Amino acid sequence: MTDPGQDDANDSSAHAATTPEPDESLRSMLRGALREEAPPPNVLAGVQKRIRERSKGKFYADGWSTAKHPPLNTYLVTSLMMLAILGISYALLSPLVGSPVPVRNQPVPVQLIPH
Amino acid sequence: MADRRDVAAHPVYLGDGVADAEDQSERRFIERLARRDERAFNELVELYEARVFRLVLRMLGRRDEAEDMAQEVFVQIFKAVGTFRGDSKLSTWIYRVSVNLCKNRMKYLSRRHSEGEDELEPVAERAALDEAKGVTFGDVAQPDRMVEGYQIERVVQQCIAELDPDFREVLILRDLEDLSYEELSEITGLPDGTVKSRLHRARSMLKANVERKMGEKIR
Repeated sequence: MTDPGQDDANDSSAHAATTPEPDESLRSMLRGALREEAPPPNVLAGVQKRIRERSKGKFYADGWSTAKHPPLNTYLVTSLMMLAILGISYALLSPLVGSPVPVRNQPVPVQLIPH
Repeated sequence: MADRRDVAAHPVYLGDGVADAEDQSERRFIERLARRDERAFNELVELYEARVFRLVLRMLGRRDEAEDMAQEVFVQIFKAVGTFRGDSKLSTWIYRVSVNLCKNRMKYLSRRHSEGEDELEPVAERAALDEAKGVTFGDVAQPDRMVEGYQIERVVQQCIAELDPDFREVLILRDLEDLSYEELSEITGLPDGTVKSRLHRARSMLKANVERKMGEKIR
């Protein structure tokens, strides 16, 4: 293998004046060999996780709320579910709660019994 | 950010006023990053993840290593963005961080005698053979051009993997990422003449190696 460090010794005179452009066959060969087949992965979640772990929670402490697009649907669904639970609870428990039943009996007069 | 993305993806001359606005926008963005603004950093990752991944995949040649390395690049950027002085473009700095980390990883893998595994994508993960038809190489006068072309791809991948990391770096940055010599110089920290010399030798070595393995000239 040729030593890249040799470049420093013999670079300027040989190549500095010219702009070495490759022949097209070499370039297309390179592009063909290293072309992308699969789409690049989404690395954001992994990066956030690593930063959270290495900073011991100082950064990205709450991963989902720091996402670029806050999960509005999650907030909405959670709110609606809470309202539904409250409504059902009220519907179930309200029959157990009523106003006091009035006593219709007349009070009996007090009779004093002499000794 | 949509404007920044468009400009980054299609670098064209926009005029001094627009270029200044672009510079100011980038400066403000860097200030947000330096303040460890997590949303700004999310934007940075989404803006550069494809380019960083493509670069490290080409440097390392293995998808699993590349995914891990791409994440590591952004973690290091998050840690070091406060030290970025703005002497170069943000994208150039990101490329420099990526390349340096890749070279360190290659040295590490080399020390662990893992170079034998330094193959580009396994055959099974590559596209079907008929997709290889679109690849252009030097004219190979063989009956079955598709299979032949596919074999040449494999040979080229091997030859790139065998290149010294310093040669591989300039070859990928110039011939595949289409960066300018000035950017190459900033990324590698080498003088312009050395970059050109190294690039010339990298191409010569690659071509000679491919021809030796294929037993015929690339035309």
